[in-house]
Amino acid sequence: MHIPDNYLSPATCAVMGAVMVPVWTVAVRKVTKEVERARVPLLGIGAALSFLVMMFNVPVPGGTTAHAVGGTLLAIVLGPWSACISVSIALLVQALLFGDGGILAFGANCFNMAFVLPFLGYFIYRFISQRVKGQAGEYVAVVAGSHVGINIAALAAAIEFGLQPVLAHNAAGLPLYCPYPLSVSIPAMLIPHLAVAGVVEAGFTAAIVAFIRRVSPGMIREAPSGKIRWIYAVIVVMICLSPLGLLAAGTAWGEWGPEEIASVANSGKALGYVPAGMQNGLKLNALLQDYSVKGLPDIVGYIISAVAGAAILVILFRIFSLIGKSGRDRARGGTA
Amino acid sequence: MTPAWLLRNEAYTPPSDSDAFLDRSVRSFLGVLSLIRSRTGYTRERRGLDARVKLVSTFVLILFTSLAQRPLFVGLCGTVLLVSLSLCAAEVIVEVLKACFAAGAFTAVILLPSAFWGNTAGVLVVTVKVLICVGVARLLPATTEWRAVTRGLGSFRVPDIFVLVLDLTLRYIAILGALSLDMLYALRLRSVGRNHSKTRSLSGIAGTLFLKSRVVAEATYAAMECRCFSGTYRGGQPQALGVADAFVLSADAALIVVFALIGA
Repeated sequence: MHIPDNYLSPATCAVMGAVMVPVWTVAVRKVTKEVERARVPLLGIGAALSFLVMMFNVPVPGGTTAHAVGGTLLAIVLGPWSACISVSIALLVQALLFGDGGILAFGANCFNMAFVLPFLGYFIYRFISQRVKGQAGEYVAVVAGSHVGINIAALAAAIEFGLQPVLAHNAAGLPLYCPYPLSVSIPAMLIPHLAVAGVVEAGFTAAIVAFIRRVSPGMIREAPSGKIRWIYAVIVVMICLSPLGLLAAGTAWGEWGPEEIASVANSGKALGYVPAGMQNGLKLNALLQDYSVKGLPDIVGYIISAVAGAAILVILFRIFSLIGKSGRDRARGGTA
Repeated sequence: MTPAWLLRNEAYTPPSDSDAFLDRSVRSFLGVLSLIRSRTGYTRERRGLDARVKLVSTFVLILFTSLAQRPLFVGLCGTVLLVSLSLCAAEVIVEVLKACFAAGAFTAVILLPSAFWGNTAGVLVVTVKVLICVGVARLLPATTEWRAVTRGLGSFRVPDIFVLVLDLTLRYIAILGALSLDMLYALRLRSVGRNHSKTRSLSGIAGTLFLKSRVVAEATYAAMECRCFSGTYRGGQPQALGVADAFVLSADAALIVVFALIGA
């Protein structure tokens, strides 16, 4: 899953790196807060562990071998934020000193393997283990978390590959980087990961968690109390997937602008005119017109628009919940 | 007197068992450990280019090779790599070329089906670009002491803590890697004939590695406290750049100018 340089366009690499900057910032803050005094050796050792876990070759049917990534395993043992930093540093060492994975593609590799994989794997692990009690429930959670985690990370890599022919092509329309569209890249990445790599990852993770539980149960990080805010994970995934809209040709049905509606075809015939109400209607120049930011690539504009939109909605919901809460408090005070 | 049964030759031939995954794991660990040992402690380069200059040049060459669309500029980047390689020791050249051709061959195989869709030139250009970028990326660690690379990162506003963690990571990869190797050898030596629980033992080795890492982390933290090390890391004073460094930096600038003129 280590993407080398030149499979992704430099613009994609820059966007993926920009996406990872806030993740790393929050991760460093969280880890510093959680393990303040002993943070330095812990981070280094976590990164070394992450590096070494990728070196264990596990036999798979057919006489060949495969290796695990261990993202979910590290998230379960060290916590997802520590796992994010550890895998990122391991990937940097691999790119910079071992030539494994691209230097420009470092951000993309970190997004797939140090962000999507450990966080999603850990959230699924916690979601299932909180609901299915007992040892069996925990192992089901470990297997499901690690299998889904690595497959969604592979899907993220496949989407990055598959967007390249659309995002970077020459005047003749020929791709400049990865030439395969989503219809090829997604099955090419997902089939081997669903069938082999995911199974190896799940088996290896479950076996190591079982070993640690048996020998030193205190080493498994206790999950913080409180329910997981799934909605945040869903929002982050949706933000990351928002540039997929660039693949669609034309405008969504019913969202035509005055300049487009004349060419809209109905029963094979173009409309041919602009309705007067649309021609002379209210015109509003939005800040992020068509989800784009002037001077920036469309993909960046889409992500910025998605982040801003999600943030505005969260702010509005919080204000409404505050108003609702104060109303309830007043009502309670009135009845007392 | 020696009993007769002790003098009798044993005709025991252990049944063969598949050791491929153990062999590959051992080879992976041996490869990494030998690389770390050879690249930490002494410098293989004959002329001392500053690690910061090498980092900048590596990044510039990879970035502009990746950005280039015209074969002429890609060829120029390839020439820069060849000139850099020609100044290296023979073993470095072999090592870098091996990595280049392995990555190039892999990319060509992966991209070949797209040639049937009319992307013949694209297959060639991307393969050559991958070959150049892998070569440039491999040249940096092959000719530079690794701690100099990590310290060089500190000059680019990378937080000191990050550089220290990188150094620690390399050290722990060596320490924990050697431990894993010992356990893999032990598993191999104890597996006479068929051993059906070998795969399970592999997870035990990885699990032991996790347990050992906790012990090592506590020991390191205790050692840091004993030395009054609070975790704040200060690198040494950066050295002044030499004539060779200035030449390489001007070559980088020239490459960017040429890109602006013909590359895009």
